[in-house]
Amino acid sequence: MAEICCEEAKSTPATAVAAASVSATAAAAAAVAVASSALERRRRRLEMRRFRVASDPEELVAEDVRAAKRQRLARTLSGSCPDAGSDSDRPALPRYGVTSVCGRRREMEDTVSIRPDFLPGTSKHNFFGVFDGHGCSHVATMCQDNMHEVVADEHTKAASGEETAWKGVMERSFSRLDEQAASWATSRSRDEPACRCEQQMPLRCDHVGSTAVVAVVSPSHVVVANAGDSRAVLSRGGVPVPLSVDHKPDRPDELARIEAAGGRVIYWDGARVLGVLAMSRAIGDRYLKPFVSSEPEVTVTERTDDDECLILASDGLWDVVTNEMACEVVRACFRSNGPPAPAARPNGVALPAAGAGAEDGSAVVKGVGKEDSDKACSDAAMLLAKLALARRSADNVSVVVVDLRRGI
Amino acid sequence: MPYTAPRPSPQQHSRVLSGGGAKAASHGASCAAVPAEVARHHEHAARAGQCCSAVVQAIAAPVGAVWSVVRRFDRPQAYKHFIRSCRLVGGGDVAVGSVREVRVVSGLPATSSRERLEILDDERRVLSFRVVGGEHRLANYRSVTTVHEAGAGAGTGTVVVESYVVDVPHGNTADETRVFVDTIVRCNLQSLARTAERLA
Repeated sequence: MAEICCEEAKSTPATAVAAASVSATAAAAAAVAVASSALERRRRRLEMRRFRVASDPEELVAEDVRAAKRQRLARTLSGSCPDAGSDSDRPALPRYGVTSVCGRRREMEDTVSIRPDFLPGTSKHNFFGVFDGHGCSHVATMCQDNMHEVVADEHTKAASGEETAWKGVMERSFSRLDEQAASWATSRSRDEPACRCEQQMPLRCDHVGSTAVVAVVSPSHVVVANAGDSRAVLSRGGVPVPLSVDHKPDRPDELARIEAAGGRVIYWDGARVLGVLAMSRAIGDRYLKPFVSSEPEVTVTERTDDDECLILASDGLWDVVTNEMACEVVRACFRSNGPPAPAARPNGVALPAAGAGAEDGSAVVKGVGKEDSDKACSDAAMLLAKLALARRSADNVSVVVVDLRRGI
Repeated sequence: MPYTAPRPSPQQHSRVLSGGGAKAASHGASCAAVPAEVARHHEHAARAGQCCSAVVQAIAAPVGAVWSVVRRFDRPQAYKHFIRSCRLVGGGDVAVGSVREVRVVSGLPATSSRERLEILDDERRVLSFRVVGGEHRLANYRSVTTVHEAGAGAGTGTVVVESYVVDVPHGNTADETRVFVDTIVRCNLQSLARTAERLA
């Protein structure tokens, strides 16, 4: 309750104005940071790719110290941490766990983006995104890098945190990412190649796309925006509540929309748009427009005391694990780990980086370091991924588990 | 020269009529602009249970630039974006009879394809291959691609015709098969146009 009072005190009009002006500076700083680190990110991505090829690891979660530092800098600039010198003032991190595994597919095309406290001038809004690429990885990587910034930008423009505004914010954000995917090749820098398309086909790559399931978790609501067949599920009182519905081409309303647009759904190893793509919405895939739309379906769900967790995952998990089983796995991990611990570290000091490899950025998970995650949630995410592999999932598997329990 | 949208693909198929023999299908309409000695390559004898089709693509680039990309049997991924990698079986140089093993990008209902080069005619600019294996549902697929000057003395315009014949997979119709294959072929030819126009 004390924390809530502090939040109310901070939200005076004067503070809001100051935060607005500071957020412009933060945006500029972020732009510079992104530009200057683009080359470094590409190098790390290449190194991670070589590392995967050399050692064939199944787990690809690694720390990204630079990203974490940039995140802290952004928070300071945004005014949510007036005392830049002290970590103890840092807002409590969300309790989450994340796992991404290549699985039986030869290439990793999933990406995950976790951005705590990502809205400038608005505290306690955490961004989670799972992006399952197809055709190549660069659209999923672009979503990982940019989606949270575009959502924050659209949210600022909307100038309202009301429930009805989120639908427009998300629809415009997905549309902007879809446009970025279409112009990706022409707008990319002439640095070293980062993926196969850049090496071979430096113009448009119309055949590449990605799913996108995105969640914004605030103290009062969970906003989910989804395009494609990744999925978000809430566990409430032990009962799974789907926050997204998979965009399969044979979903009756999707089938009707596609046919009304002059397209066809053909069963070719499953229902596929024009017999080619097994999902009816995605970011990218220009050659299948307008049949494959990037428009997300958006849900805004009010949080309750019965909420246990939020699970975001790619279809590598959901194809072989039911919502019910996934929620039960998480609840079992929560029980075995005891009640939720406060998210902020004791004395506000972050745990030291995990030694060797600290300089390596994660090619798959971005926005946070490993020490930011919560043990119960990490156990749950890991267990779900292992369950999917044990059940012979034929795809990449990416899982994010967010603890929504109220107890701190 | 402004980019020209591809013409609608003329869809044709033939089947054995009751009591009749196999009948040759000809793409008369699409071959009107194609020299007679090359048009015959686009005549496919479709048997019962097969279908055929052709896709035509106009390209604002010299015919030589287009052909230089099309003829690379060992490197189809230069313009066929759905191909992730390609290697010649047994190595060596490209010649009629060479076999390539291509791996397909993710997201498609196929994993790999093994293809044999049947025609490589640099004089008439004809390339043909037959699918002889792989993990996909396109059995007995045979493709012919020809590259032509667009109109007499145009100078920089090119027309590419790709036609094919293939078995209709069990559970699908001939029409569905054409929709699927035409989508892939059309996407390939559109990226060929962009690639060649950039080379020119």
